[in-house]
Amino acid sequence: MVQFLAQTFVNGINVGALYGLAAVGLSLIFGVMRILNVAHGEFLMVGGYIGFWLFKLYGVDPFVGLPLVGIFLFLIGIVFYKVVFSRVAKFHEEVKLKNSLLIAFGLYLIFPQIAMVLWTADERAISPAYSGQAFDLLGVRFGYVPLAGVCIAIIVILAMYLFLTKTYFGKSLRGTAESWKAAKLSGIHIEWTFMITFGLGISLAGIAGVLIALTQELTPFMGMPWTLKALIVVVLAGMGSIVGAFVAGLILGIVEAVSAIFMGPYTIAIGLLIFLIILVLRPQGLFGRA
Amino acid sequence: MMLEMDSLSKSFGGLMAINHLDLDVYKGEILGFIGPNGSGKTTLFNLISGLLKPDSGKIKLNGIDITPLSSHKICQMGIARTFQLTKPFAQMTSLENVMVGKAFGCTPTWSMREAKEEAEKILRFIGLGEKSMWRASALGVVDRKKLETARALATKPKLLLLDEMMAGLTPTEVEEAMVLVKKIRDSGITLIVVEHVMEAILGISDRVVAINAGEKIAEGAPQDVVRERKVIEAYLGEEA
Amino acid sequence: MPKNWKSFFIFGGIIALLAMLPLFTNRSDVLTWSCLTLQYILLSQSWNIIGGYAGQVNLGHAAFFGLGALTTRYLWLAGLPFPASLLSGAFIATVFALLIGIPAFRLRGIYFVIGTLVLAEILKVVIDTRFPVASVLPVETLLTYSLLPRYYLSLMGAVLSVIAVYFISRSRLGLGMMAIREDEDAARTSGVNILQNKLIAFAISTFLAGLAGGIFAFYMVAIQPGYVFSPIWTFDSVVIVFVGGIGTLIGPIIGSVFFVLLKQWLSLHLPGGLHLAVFGVLFILVVLYMPDGFIEAIRRYGKMVTLGRKPMVQGG
Ligand SMILES: Nc1ncnc2c1ncn2[C@@H]1O[C@H](COP(=O)(O)OP(=O)(O)OP(=O)(O)O)[C@@H](O)[C@H]1O
Ligand SMILES: [Mg+2]
Repeated sequence: MVQFLAQTFVNGINVGALYGLAAVGLSLIFGVMRILNVAHGEFLMVGGYIGFWLFKLYGVDPFVGLPLVGIFLFLIGIVFYKVVFSRVAKFHEEVKLKNSLLIAFGLYLIFPQIAMVLWTADERAISPAYSGQAFDLLGVRFGYVPLAGVCIAIIVILAMYLFLTKTYFGKSLRGTAESWKAAKLSGIHIEWTFMITFGLGISLAGIAGVLIALTQELTPFMGMPWTLKALIVVVLAGMGSIVGAFVAGLILGIVEAVSAIFMGPYTIAIGLLIFLIILVLRPQGLFGRA
Repeated sequence: MMLEMDSLSKSFGGLMAINHLDLDVYKGEILGFIGPNGSGKTTLFNLISGLLKPDSGKIKLNGIDITPLSSHKICQMGIARTFQLTKPFAQMTSLENVMVGKAFGCTPTWSMREAKEEAEKILRFIGLGEKSMWRASALGVVDRKKLETARALATKPKLLLLDEMMAGLTPTEVEEAMVLVKKIRDSGITLIVVEHVMEAILGISDRVVAINAGEKIAEGAPQDVVRERKVIEAYLGEEA
Repeated sequence: MPKNWKSFFIFGGIIALLAMLPLFTNRSDVLTWSCLTLQYILLSQSWNIIGGYAGQVNLGHAAFFGLGALTTRYLWLAGLPFPASLLSGAFIATVFALLIGIPAFRLRGIYFVIGTLVLAEILKVVIDTRFPVASVLPVETLLTYSLLPRYYLSLMGAVLSVIAVYFISRSRLGLGMMAIREDEDAARTSGVNILQNKLIAFAISTFLAGLAGGIFAFYMVAIQPGYVFSPIWTFDSVVIVFVGGIGTLIGPIIGSVFFVLLKQWLSLHLPGGLHLAVFGVLFILVVLYMPDGFIEAIRRYGKMVTLGRKPMVQGG
């Protein structure tokens, strides 16, 4: 029984780390730019499929492919920012929020259909030779790949956190998040800041996508469910909080894993319902300030 | 006494925007309400119109406690306001903007024809008759201020709160606005007027109240209040 | 008044023509497309009320469509007369809307969008789990299945929605809704009861959405219960309303016609669901470059002067 619970816990952390990673990119973009990118899951899907291609077509090990996907998605993010989002980024708060939401929503209509053509509706996964291997610790099974996923998620998020708090550019990003006008006055180049931020956020989504492809499967329609997961995590953490998003991701993963035991197929619904209730009672998030 | 504020307080975080303020407004008067930037004038309007709730204290309209009421109720009881940063219904025509006030205000009506006729009348009165079919987003700053006033008037208020309607106007326009304010008073509406243009305040107010940092620092006849040391210091302190 | 009379005659004429359509053609593909277009008009107008007029971007619209569809379908197949089933479906959708409306409207801006999206997702998950099996019409019904009553029902639904929006846009209710859309604080201090107004708009909107669902349930031979709760229904409505012209009477009509025609045409020339991708691109272009939708382009093209439009050049 104890082993069973511990195993459930470990499984929850494995998934939760991915939730956290998926959410951090969304949170970053929202925090700095005030753009809610509901196509975040779509970029995550693209990252997963590109990792899949690298592995399948060129035999690139997924963990080697990971940084490549990260860089590639960064560039994709910049392109998408330049082509569409930059056009609404300068509007004032409410208009920007609404228009960027609608644009992201348009992307959500486009991506799965293109993915269907490129990769078909079949479920895909990245499965290197070592993918099933695991070790036992006190009767609890630790898969090497999920464990590596958790470690990478932690490393990436930590790096992100240090980048934001310790480097000059990171500080200027945070400055922009605090106040747009003040940032502009103090000489921060808004256009660049926004471009890099968007690229980084999308890059994080891509990395999460590859890790997901390693432990779960890819489908052209996985985007929206993952966007929802990321949204939930971000709202729970409070919009814009990076470390909070990771912690909230872990919590969501564990809660889901545990409640799956009792609730079976209704788990997802229960998770969403709890989220809704929190949203109504504490819109600033569990960890956000009132 | 028309409006009575009793030890009203409101703070934002650590900042006391309104600090135990007592203020009475008499029926039929034009009360000039002055104070340097950030002294809490707009905040007081937000409290009276119910957009903000005070931390403590009471607001009474003709003896009835309106503190707990929601904004639309307060409006329907006869208090209308304009916004310093104008808030027009941008995608609607000037006419529709004013019709909202008539249809939902103090003398609500379901008849769109009645609302329309009344709105047209008010737009003519305010000097926007020509532009009644313009979208509000197409109006210039001065016209937007007029539209704010027209929409507020359309609610048929007993008390009207004007927040810096003369800021940014040319001297001739200020003259016109002063005449307008007096006309509004003569139609039986009590007014609280927030204004930085001192000539205007001196020209129209029956009485002036000055605040600084949320506290009342002077009250009385316009000429006396603007000469009081505390008031001059408050304004000078702002410039220094 | 004469201008109004003209519109009435045009509107009446179009309805009469549509009512006679089955006399001119018995091509079932034409009737099918017409059915779909009319149903989309009903559904998109219903979203237009809450999203376009009241300005509340409700991304959970599929939930109300689905509730209407499922309720109608099961009551009808259980033996209740169809009209009663249809009304019950719409009624259930409305009741649900009023129940969730009060907490939902506590959410402002982006949180309302997320909240409604998640709400629909919850319903979809529950329905998928609870009703995994498709509902197929029984053989007796299938033998007498005819497109004609479906067509007329869709026509009635569409006409009802257009009439509803027409009257809303010219009423005190519509005035209040638009004021809320433009600026809640200004609306509130002008005497508009925000919550009450939003709830009424929501009730009307979801009643029509439930009706659309019920008609769809009558129209389809086989229905997967989860499918009627799919976010696709929300997204189709939003796209149609934006492309046609949000917050206008005619916009969703133009949008629906365009949507169905283009969808049919594209599906002939493009594989699978690629037409959706085309709509996605179109939608983004509209949001970026034509925020008032096709209707505005048509108006400009036709040099029709509309309220407050002409002087914008002077006003800046
Ligand atoms: N919603 C708010 N949240 C936090 N602080 C606020 C808020 N509204 C006002 N304040 C602060 O309260 C103080 C009073 O502001 P208020 O707008 O009432 O001043 P005012 O007298 O109208 O100034 P002005 O002449 O510039 O219009 C200011 O320091 C302002 O920054
Ligand atoms: Mg002010």
